[in-house]
Amino acid sequence: MSFKVIKPGFLSTVQDYGRFGHAHQGMSQSGAMDEHAYAWGNYLLNNRFDDACIEMTFGGLEIEAQIDTFVAVTGADLNFEINGQSQKMWHSLRVNKGDRLSWGTPNTGVRSYLAVKGGFKTAVMFDSRSVNLRENIGNKILPEEVLTCKGFSGANYRFTPPKFIPNYADEVVLRVLPTYQFNEFNSNQKDLFFAQEYSINNASDRSGCRLDGVPIKAKNARMISEGVSYGAVEIAADGLPIIILKDGPSIGGYAKIGTVFSLDLAKLAQKQPNSQVRFQPMTMQDAQKERKQFERFFKMF
Amino acid sequence: MPNIVPAGENSVLIYFGNKIDPALPEKIANFANQLKKTLGASIIDITPSYTSLKVNYDLGKMSFEAFSGTLQGLADRQWQETADFEAKTTHIPVYYGLDSGLDLERLLAEKNLNLDEFIQIHSEQEYLIYAIGFAPGFAFLGEVDARIQFPRLASPRIKIPKGSVGIADSQTAVYPTQSSGGWNIIGRTLVDLSLDNPENVDKFCVGDKVKFYPITRDEFVSNGGQL
Repeated sequence: MSFKVIKPGFLSTVQDYGRFGHAHQGMSQSGAMDEHAYAWGNYLLNNRFDDACIEMTFGGLEIEAQIDTFVAVTGADLNFEINGQSQKMWHSLRVNKGDRLSWGTPNTGVRSYLAVKGGFKTAVMFDSRSVNLRENIGNKILPEEVLTCKGFSGANYRFTPPKFIPNYADEVVLRVLPTYQFNEFNSNQKDLFFAQEYSINNASDRSGCRLDGVPIKAKNARMISEGVSYGAVEIAADGLPIIILKDGPSIGGYAKIGTVFSLDLAKLAQKQPNSQVRFQPMTMQDAQKERKQFERFFKMF
Repeated sequence: MPNIVPAGENSVLIYFGNKIDPALPEKIANFANQLKKTLGASIIDITPSYTSLKVNYDLGKMSFEAFSGTLQGLADRQWQETADFEAKTTHIPVYYGLDSGLDLERLLAEKNLNLDEFIQIHSEQEYLIYAIGFAPGFAFLGEVDARIQFPRLASPRIKIPKGSVGIADSQTAVYPTQSSGGWNIIGRTLVDLSLDNPENVDKFCVGDKVKFYPITRDEFVSNGGQL
């Protein structure tokens, strides 16, 4: 009752909606980097919104079905094939026992999501199936690994309306909420932050996105460590931003100029190193409205 | 009175002070307990640290106005009261040696202390847990005696052995797993604080205490310690 891993790919991990209720013990939120693509994957299969999927970065994964079931692949276009035949993304698809699912290299985007009917039933660790390599919670997918899930013999045909399928080649503008030390940055520094185009540094990963650009100055660069939110924009000692992502540390001591709206982080998750990004101010009311709309649509509450 | 600042679309940061103060962790722990009792179902996560408490809440269960209103009311009301938090003390055996304390030789020379003096200074006091972070189970303990405070290493070590005890400025801590890090290493413990033992997630709580006690090289090695 499972999929068997033939090739693990560059970086493939099991992720769900995230690990909650453990921040006070020092754990990160973890979970899928692109919440939009992840949520659609489960939606297309009528799954629970927080069922576990496989997040693959840059592709290279190959797995064999040992059951009949339905799957949906969303997110980056990594040349998804079944038995060597190119397949539709953002659609639920029937998969039969013995089928080989494989992914090549990116056409657009970085991270692709494989959702399976009923979700992957890998080990629950601290109330979540999300793997966090920085915290040694779980491991990346390995050759021969068996990814448990239940079979499904019914029908399940759904697809994502095209208007909800992002073009990951589009420019990404990250909308920023005025949080943390926002008011402690002077207007010149804020203008510089919002006016310039930053470039994504190679050293970015699931913990944080480092940006290159013109440095800005915080009034106090180092401060007493405090809880760091998903999307918090730290201005490091060198004046360059680090956006804290899903596997980022739960506390930190750099000044933070704001917090990027969660659904814009989903778009950021699909950007390759050296891509350009810009920031733009956003109000708390707009962010909450948009987030609630998202959660309502995907039946998260 | 606590000051509330937004931290994200569904999170706020409550500041209880603006400098490190040994009275704060317990107050923050008490406040967190009250918060869980009052708003439990709407709270997703809480992150205490030194002078503040970050709270993530469920946008679907409560509006921001209702949430921050309740929070402010609670903050105003509870701030002066003591409550139900009971600090526990964890005792941790440490082998302080030149072979387990990778930086010890340099530190002793810098401060002109002998090993026994150093051990006594580090192990005689009870430390307070100010924050947990960096990695799961990594507890920031303070405050280290001024005689044995050292800045972080200019460039972090790639590999610090599991159980290493370090000092960074006024703080000390145990590395729960092998990791990279920039703290000055002064010894090692055999106590497993990693998540390999899932019960360790509740071993430390902000506001709790930690006391180190020295063991000999023989005790360390005969209990399975590898140097």
